[in-house]
Amino acid sequence: MSSASPPATKKSVYEGSTQFKNWRYSPEKLAHVRSTLNQAAVAVIKRTFEAYEPGSSANVLFLTADEEHLLVKHYIATITQLCSLFRFPEEVEATAISYFKRFYLKNTVMDWHPKNVMLTTLFLATKTTNNPISLETYTTHIKSTTASDVLDLEFLVAQSLGFEFSVWHAHRALWGVWLDFQSLPDTAADWPQAHRDAYETALGYVRASRLTDVEFIFTPSQIALAAVSLTLPEESYKWLKSKYPSYNAVETTVNKIKTIIQSLSRPPDVESVREVDRRLRLCKNPEKIVGSKAYLARKAEQEKKAEEKRNRKAVEAGEDDPFGFELGRSTIVDDDDDDDDDDN
Amino acid sequence: MDAVERANVERQKRWVKDQKVGEGTYAVVYRGREASTGRKVAIKKIKVGQFKDGLDMSAVREVKYLRELKHQNVIELLDVFSSKTNLNLVLEFLDSDLEMIIKDRSLVFLPADIKSWMAMTFRGLEFCHRNFVLHRDLKPNNLLIASDGQLKIADFGLARDFADPGYKMTCQVITRWYRPPELLFGCRYYGTAVDIWSVGCIFAELMLRTPYLAGESDMDQLKTIFRALGTPTEQDWPGHTKLPDYITVGQFPKTPLRDLFTAASPDALNLLSKCLIYEPRRRISAKDALHHQYFFAQPHPSYPSKLPKCATQLATAQPLEEVDANVDMESTVAGGKGGPIKARPKRKLNSPYDDSKSRSIARRLDFTQPIPGS
Repeated sequence: MSSASPPATKKSVYEGSTQFKNWRYSPEKLAHVRSTLNQAAVAVIKRTFEAYEPGSSANVLFLTADEEHLLVKHYIATITQLCSLFRFPEEVEATAISYFKRFYLKNTVMDWHPKNVMLTTLFLATKTTNNPISLETYTTHIKSTTASDVLDLEFLVAQSLGFEFSVWHAHRALWGVWLDFQSLPDTAADWPQAHRDAYETALGYVRASRLTDVEFIFTPSQIALAAVSLTLPEESYKWLKSKYPSYNAVETTVNKIKTIIQSLSRPPDVESVREVDRRLRLCKNPEKIVGSKAYLARKAEQEKKAEEKRNRKAVEAGEDDPFGFELGRSTIVDDDDDDDDDDN
Repeated sequence: MDAVERANVERQKRWVKDQKVGEGTYAVVYRGREASTGRKVAIKKIKVGQFKDGLDMSAVREVKYLRELKHQNVIELLDVFSSKTNLNLVLEFLDSDLEMIIKDRSLVFLPADIKSWMAMTFRGLEFCHRNFVLHRDLKPNNLLIASDGQLKIADFGLARDFADPGYKMTCQVITRWYRPPELLFGCRYYGTAVDIWSVGCIFAELMLRTPYLAGESDMDQLKTIFRALGTPTEQDWPGHTKLPDYITVGQFPKTPLRDLFTAASPDALNLLSKCLIYEPRRRISAKDALHHQYFFAQPHPSYPSKLPKCATQLATAQPLEEVDANVDMESTVAGGKGGPIKARPKRKLNSPYDDSKSRSIARRLDFTQPIPGS
């Protein structure tokens, strides 16, 4: 609760995290990121359309940032369904959803369809949270999914996340707040038992909050407190007062979160999703559709580049000793194995 | 090209790979530098394409934790980028490790030197624990030493975070000689105390100049521990006989640490004994260890820059074939699949360079030598 606590003399552990440093936005900034990303994507795809078939982009209705977001939101709900199918721990689900949402702050659905990205983020999350399952088990339990559907995008996802795999979750904070409630003066011994339902309800609000942007705007503990105060307003108030002398500021923040959770945490209606998805089929980046003209052209170009690089290397290496560079010579020779040269 | 790919290419351009210095099943290690400043780095290239489950777990762990942990006594992950099907970790360049230093018979350790290494180890570890990270593979060759003498905890390939009590964890972690008895008894619920035991073993090793509890098998490890510290009683360690893999390995009497560690100060022995308490809950924490009398008593810890350094660290020239030959990956996990990736692989002993110093132990590669002609 950085907004209300007295100036900290020492940085909290949370403040040292990559989440705090790189994944926090103001609502305005968030909207800006999405619209800029969307505009740039549309421009690129339009150019690609035109390059392969002049005039072909004229009648295409590209997705807006809001429509992209609608689709993302729909697939967040799908991640939840998959997680209950596999009975993954809360940690996996929450992490996968965070990865998924973060991915679409760096990429557009018109390049990468959320259906695939969702599979990859979930699989990656099982590994990063130390709940790994084999790829085979994973794919056999999801209808018509192959290993490459999951792994092809793994690198791109990891890159998009900046390889920052560690995520701080509101459901953990909720548990902390819950334990702390029990240490308030005059708390009955059977308080946890008597309020078990309330905890579940609060957890439900935290889960619902994953469909919204609150994790990009607020801290996990602020979200947790909002969830509890939607459930047990009086106790929350009491706890807040005992904890923070300047609780008014926290209350304002918490109220903002409550409003968002209450108004924006429902999955989008299926009809509108279907409509957007139908249009997405027409405005997808052709370079990313396997088998399309543009895709093949791009592949061919990459192949050519790789070939050139291999030849160049062969020439460089072939000049002297087949066992490598000799002493006394500049050694800026890329001695990678040739199956994994580092071209772009 | 996508924005994400572009960013990756930019990152890749920041770093120059110079020379391959080691290769193992999972990774190739290069010496490298930052293109703009010439700063030396180590680049660990993990071959991802060959894993059927995609990104490998130990790579994932290492990246996950090192991305978050920034501390003077934890190795710094400077950057991560991918090249085709490889993952590249750009790590702070470090000359040597504590194992090399311990084994270098030409070096004499003062009590103040040992205190300094211990202080740095506990500082780094306290930071990890404060961030809810268990290292689970502490041993002298995972404590790397920078050219300015700073000690850095490295190799987070077995690390995990601990949050929930009651969450089962694997007991197949920590290299055997540094593994605490609760793990040898198959304990699946444990905490920061497992790392403290390892630090205790390292502390003892710094004083003895040889591994303190060097068991030959998991069973023998328990025996070795009990021979050194006495077989625990129910009073020493309530409930230990109920642990999943509990076995009796014989009754050994407790011998005072003083009998073996003849030159150690009473404070040093007191801290050591607190790291090696059988009951994990009573074992000292990293934070309490930092406040232990040992660190406040005379002599004060040596300045890192004044600490003993390996002879190889100071040497100026080395034949090139040394870096090309016989690089061997070291597997640290008993029974673990594959074992973690070592940033700096071990090399089998074979060069006259080593023989001339009559060493009979495997040594690390030395990365400090300038590339001839570069």
